[in-house]
Amino acid sequence: MRLRSRYRVGPELKFLGNLDMMHLMERSLRRAVIPYALSEGFNPHIKLSMGTVLPVGLWGENEYFDLELSQRMDTIDFRQKLSAALPSCLQLEECQEIADGAPSLMKIINAASYVFLLEPPFPSLDKWKEELLARPSLTVRSRGKKKGLDKELRTGIYRIEVEQSLNFGRVEIWVAVGEPVNVRYDELGELLLQTGFTQKSIAEVFRSGNYIREGSSYLSPLEVLLDKHTSPCGHSWCSTLRCHY
Amino acid sequence: MKDRLFRDILPRVAKPARYTGSELNMIKKDWEQAGVKMVFAFPDVYEVGMSHVGGKILYGLVNEKSRHLLERVFAPWPDMEAIMREEQIPLFSLESFRPVLDFEVLGFSLQYELSITNVLNMLDLAGIPLWSRERDEAHPLVIAGGPVVFNPEPFAEFFDIFIIGDGEEVLLEFLDQVEASRGLERLEKLKRLAAIEGVYAPALYSVEYREDGTLKSFAPMFPGVPARVRKRVVKDLDQAYYPDKPLVPYMEITHDRAVLEVMRGCQRGCRFCHAGIVYRPVRERSLEILENQARRQLQNTGYEEISLASLSSLDYSGIDPLLKALVGNYGEKGIGVSLPSLRVDAFSIDLANEVQKVRKTTLTLAPEAGTQRLRDIINKNVSEEQLLEAVEAAFKSGWLSLKLYFMIGLPGEREEDLEGIIEILQKVKYIGDKYSRRPVEIRASLASFVPKAHTPFQWRPQNTMAELDSKQQFLSRRRRKRIKLSFHDSRTSYLEGAIARGDRRLAPVIYLAWQKGCKFDAWSEYFNFDCWQDAFRECAVDPEFYTGRQRPYEEDFPWDFIDIGVSKDFLQEEDQKAEEGLTTADCRQEGCSDCGICPAMEVSLNIKGGNVDAIEKQI
Repeated sequence: MRLRSRYRVGPELKFLGNLDMMHLMERSLRRAVIPYALSEGFNPHIKLSMGTVLPVGLWGENEYFDLELSQRMDTIDFRQKLSAALPSCLQLEECQEIADGAPSLMKIINAASYVFLLEPPFPSLDKWKEELLARPSLTVRSRGKKKGLDKELRTGIYRIEVEQSLNFGRVEIWVAVGEPVNVRYDELGELLLQTGFTQKSIAEVFRSGNYIREGSSYLSPLEVLLDKHTSPCGHSWCSTLRCHY
Repeated sequence: MKDRLFRDILPRVAKPARYTGSELNMIKKDWEQAGVKMVFAFPDVYEVGMSHVGGKILYGLVNEKSRHLLERVFAPWPDMEAIMREEQIPLFSLESFRPVLDFEVLGFSLQYELSITNVLNMLDLAGIPLWSRERDEAHPLVIAGGPVVFNPEPFAEFFDIFIIGDGEEVLLEFLDQVEASRGLERLEKLKRLAAIEGVYAPALYSVEYREDGTLKSFAPMFPGVPARVRKRVVKDLDQAYYPDKPLVPYMEITHDRAVLEVMRGCQRGCRFCHAGIVYRPVRERSLEILENQARRQLQNTGYEEISLASLSSLDYSGIDPLLKALVGNYGEKGIGVSLPSLRVDAFSIDLANEVQKVRKTTLTLAPEAGTQRLRDIINKNVSEEQLLEAVEAAFKSGWLSLKLYFMIGLPGEREEDLEGIIEILQKVKYIGDKYSRRPVEIRASLASFVPKAHTPFQWRPQNTMAELDSKQQFLSRRRRKRIKLSFHDSRTSYLEGAIARGDRRLAPVIYLAWQKGCKFDAWSEYFNFDCWQDAFRECAVDPEFYTGRQRPYEEDFPWDFIDIGVSKDFLQEEDQKAEEGLTTADCRQEGCSDCGICPAMEVSLNIKGGNVDAIEKQI
């Protein structure tokens, strides 16, 4: 049996690396005595696969993992048991069964959204958004594999929402994951610094969501499952909106 | 403080999870409700300090079993330290993020001589005067425990109190007395605390040295203060506190697993071994209690691995049934068992195979010396035959890589002993290549012998750096293909040796070395020997005095007043037997060797793990 879960990583855990998060989750599964399935081979490990890596320094409102169980378990029961074993700064929000052959989170997630919480002084956000999106090219210094080289972000920036009051600002940016260009949160940070913000004005950054983007719609890895009967491919085993096979 | 840390400070440092606290099973007690507020300080980085079992025991003991409170602090890594100094953030605890200065007791764990500069650095970061004499009632009591404090004298002027022996036996009694002595002036407080067995307050003693540098006298200055300080001992490990809910860090630490302490102490009697003497007698924990502790620890932590800790876990009399039970109960769930140290015999290899049914990575054995003659001198009762049998058993059963521990600079060492090391390595490699399809990898770690206080070799001179270096070169030249040799830095060993048998006159040297920037001396990337040499020179202290002399038997040592239960006469006899190449058997095997520990501590040999047959089979 395979389960997909959505969870929230609180600010207290924002400094954990990906491996730390894996260990935390695995140890919680053991404490909760969940009947997890183990891989075969010399070094058996829990069949747990996390979604895209939550970068060190960020907390996450909507993160996902898939877990394979060795025996059937009620999802409500699962959620209750695991929640009791998790640290309070990590909450299991939702959990659903998925098809055995469903493609992994890493394969389907192709977009993410990041939120920058701002403290004055900062420029007018509406104007900033308008100008930014009007620009045909947005280059920053790459923080990823090609460190130091110029990187063109424009095609990977899909959507921006802003909210502003007298002493508070909020910018949420939807970006590409993987293709056509992998946009990292620290590259977005640099973009903000290039366009009139200061380091001091950025109070907090977190990832607000991970999505499967289809045209203009952003579905979460759990919402995608609800659509399985309308899946155009017609595969009975296929649980994604669009068949990837 | 916490908000500022999370927002402005931690994003700028490497491995920020070192400083965030709130790990699973953390205990944060109500500050106002608690009795004495103590902070446990480990003078090394978080990953190392969090791996220390003693700290886990004391943390649970104070917080679960008393009304007092114990929080934690570790040495900030230099990147964090720089930011803390720049932003004027004082050293803070990981539970309540309070400045260390707010606590009543600051307790350091001293596991290694060279961590002393980190102690000074942490005191400085906390805003606490480094010298005990400069502190007053407004400052926390600065105390220390751990293996290093069996010779506390080099550090005597930095600490108010040392606690000698098993901490869990005395800490609650100590904290109760701290609470009862509140409001008293400092000297009076120290006197009351020093009345507790195992507590040493250096300020209450006067020390005189002769012109030749040796100790002339060491005596208490006040009535009621004991002339000798006897170590505290947990008599029955089954009755001692051990945590069922140890902290589970978020980041990976050095020893990231559940730990069972199967026994404390070791009676093999290796003459170089400090721990083997100062932690006598052997005390075992019952099989049933260990199985329960394993179950509860795994339930409460979710760890994927459980390790058996002690000085020589395979000497635990119940090792066979214990391993079978652990592998049987947890193997299916993907939880592994690990043995940190193996004995050199084929029986050990069988057990190692038992716990590592699938993955056979590296196996570690410690013959310590290259010839039988030298192994007899150091009383490492292992024959070459046993070693080669063990090696054969290991390679036959599929191990591909073997690591061997040796020491150089041992008393009585000759060139043939160094050649013996190379010969053993070649024989081991030959056996490996015979049984393995792939070429095997042999690694040898060659430590420099450092004579330690309270051991049979405490009278012996230590090799000079030049001697050690030339021995290292000798071995490197004779090295063969696919045998890797790694050496300890001879300068580190030299410094460690000077402090290990040092006295109070080293304090200005340590202070000056710290002022010159020494810290994290145990980390090769930070170790700065030049600064230490300058410090010795500027203080006109000759380290050779501590390391280089053959000390006469009639000399009084600065650490003699620490009563470890093992008699100085026994140590001297052992040293004389070494001179003659005579061995001393484990007293569990061939009767009492008269070390004095059992009558001194009013204990008797306490073997609990299994039936007598099983014990005999193993020994």
